[in-house]
Amino acid sequence: MLDVGAFRAHTCGGVSRRSFLRLAGSVPLALGLSGGAARASQAVKAKSVIFVFLWGAPSHLDTCDPKPDAPSEYRGPFGVIPTRTPGVFFTELLPRIASRSDRFSLVRTHVTTAPGHPDAGTVALTGFAETPVPVKPNFGSIVGKFRGEPGALPPFFSIARGVVMDGGRRIEGYGGGTLSQAYDPFLVGCSETGEVEFPALHLLDELSPLRIQDRRRLLAQLDTARRRVEQGGRGAWTRNVQSAYDLLLDPAARQAFDLTRESEATRARYGYTTFGQSSLLARRLVEAGVPYVQLNYSRHVEALNPGFEFGWDTHIYNFELLQDQLCPILDRAFSSLLDDLYERGLIDDTLVVMMGEFGRTPKISPRAARDHWPACYFSIWAGGGVQPGRVIGSSDKLGQHPRGEGISPLMVGTTIAQLAGMDTQARAEMNVLGGGKVIDALL
Amino acid sequence: MRCFNSLLTSKPGISPALVFRWVANRFSLALWCVGLAGALTAPAAEPEPLTRDGRLKFSPVFRDGGREVVFVELVNPSLYQIRRLVLADGSDRPLHTVSPTSEFEPASSADGECYAFLKTRGALSVSIVVRNTQEGELGEILPAEGFCGYRAPALAPDHSRLAFAYAEQGKQQIYSARLNGDDRKQLTDARGISNWPAYSPDGRSIVFGSSRDGDFEIYRMNADGTEVRRLTESPFQDIRPRFSPDGKRIAFTSHRDGNAEIYVMQADGSAARRVTQSFDRDDYPDWHPDGQRLVIVSERGGKHDLYLVNVPR
Repeated sequence: MLDVGAFRAHTCGGVSRRSFLRLAGSVPLALGLSGGAARASQAVKAKSVIFVFLWGAPSHLDTCDPKPDAPSEYRGPFGVIPTRTPGVFFTELLPRIASRSDRFSLVRTHVTTAPGHPDAGTVALTGFAETPVPVKPNFGSIVGKFRGEPGALPPFFSIARGVVMDGGRRIEGYGGGTLSQAYDPFLVGCSETGEVEFPALHLLDELSPLRIQDRRRLLAQLDTARRRVEQGGRGAWTRNVQSAYDLLLDPAARQAFDLTRESEATRARYGYTTFGQSSLLARRLVEAGVPYVQLNYSRHVEALNPGFEFGWDTHIYNFELLQDQLCPILDRAFSSLLDDLYERGLIDDTLVVMMGEFGRTPKISPRAARDHWPACYFSIWAGGGVQPGRVIGSSDKLGQHPRGEGISPLMVGTTIAQLAGMDTQARAEMNVLGGGKVIDALL
Repeated sequence: MRCFNSLLTSKPGISPALVFRWVANRFSLALWCVGLAGALTAPAAEPEPLTRDGRLKFSPVFRDGGREVVFVELVNPSLYQIRRLVLADGSDRPLHTVSPTSEFEPASSADGECYAFLKTRGALSVSIVVRNTQEGELGEILPAEGFCGYRAPALAPDHSRLAFAYAEQGKQQIYSARLNGDDRKQLTDARGISNWPAYSPDGRSIVFGSSRDGDFEIYRMNADGTEVRRLTESPFQDIRPRFSPDGKRIAFTSHRDGNAEIYVMQADGSAARRVTQSFDRDDYPDWHPDGQRLVIVSERGGKHDLYLVNVPR
């Protein structure tokens, strides 16, 4: 059971659990739109996409592209383990993901054009630089517009407790960009205990706790809030609230957010961490038919910065943070996500892509950590038309550059769109991903 | 078979010895699982949970004669907080009533008079704070400008000095200093990452982890940095060593059998044996003053909780 406001709720197992669903006015205008260009211009191999964004940028050498024979000032302190893909090794920090490499393909030759988080974040999510403005649309906005919303659910979700940020600056490419704000993501936050909230608008702050089934009371309070906001001149409010109202009153949509409907074993498998339960939420959204979910590891990039969620930006304590926290959480949650998608028969129709916005310096920094490195990094691709067990390209002996041509974020977005059913013509008609090429080696 | 095939086709540069060792380790784990392993892998009784909330926890340390445990918890997505668990009644509250920024990696002197911890001062900037439980703050060792932080403070038994890890010029070394940061001395001079120093009960030795020989192993040295000896040898992480209260044994975390488990060895590195066995991660051992139990963080059931583990003699 999900509710609006803060109160006790019962899980399906009868255990009392605090549930906190805050309806916020950040519901994108897309909720009120029609299906857009929801025609299949080609065979849709990926009915849904989960884009796992490792915001802050993980070290490729310490995870999926180790260099055990490099000099000590490059190599790092971790052992290497074989994966299920012949000749491919990961570091010992990702044993569960390594043991599932026959379920995904690995790209080790990514390059990007931007060295800083906000600009590289935009490139990673849109394929283009953040200037000129307006920025190009997020891959999720493109797929969302093309596919249209499934019932009451928005077509593009971003799982985080707000817009992803670097310090006080958001990623400009977080949303609809040139397609308009109508195609911004629907933001959903998820705690380590699986409590779900819609964080961006808190326009219903004045709502007292009440059960969503009490439609009359909810509608009355919505009307009150609407009058107040309209007096303030926020013209788009009515459609937003109506869309959110539809979302919350749709039983199927509500269930997608209710992690207490999962068995304890399933929830434990993902891990009771923010990323673990968020990964489970992503699977539920896909199961409910959402075309695109951006699953953010963290809202912020910084590893240790007062007031910010801990991300992958490990300018100090790189090795400690990877071994103590970042990799164990990722290894458990991502491997469970893959297993779950396989076991439920969802993987064939669901594309999973995992990557950061760049890599980290192959040479260990003066602070015995690793800094930004846009010249080489990795991604993992599974399901949705991707051939598993492949390794696309290789980096040089120190992990500094790809051997041969690098693979750009624009190619990532183009490949996602292609697998989601948007062929060259469809992309051209929407005027998106211009000049992008598909990573054919994945297909 | 598939895994074996991948080993046969391993890329150049992965030594056959390493591959053999990896296979041997996993084969050993399989043997253990069916009860064929010998006494050296005999597990202790099932760990006893001390907490059940499941929130992310790190670095538990016994204090007050074993009557309480201080540990670190991620209390919200952006804040590490040091908390204090009283074992008698199970009460759990913040160690510091005001802790607006992250505090982590607590350490306590053997007599409980002093403790130290790390404190986030700004963006990727971390100091060491040392406090006397009666008199308050004794000192704060500030980091250098820019992205900089200390790591893993450890107090000498007589709390005359503090050992810690610090990174410069691409290497992380072990240092010691007086509690106010004066008289800083570099104890190690090795490549790679050195971390997790811990004093022996007599204060004459320090045990620590280091990647100087490739991957993380456990080493022991005199408290002045002389006579460094390697105590472990496995191709995977051996980390977070802690002397037992009598100084005769060392508990540590190792990934040698496929995931993080707790091991205990003699203080000379001999007779290492595993004392936990879980599909999930067991980490962060610290000895109870009785020398018969360890507090650890375990990820059993997908939750991060504190557990007490009996250590067989």
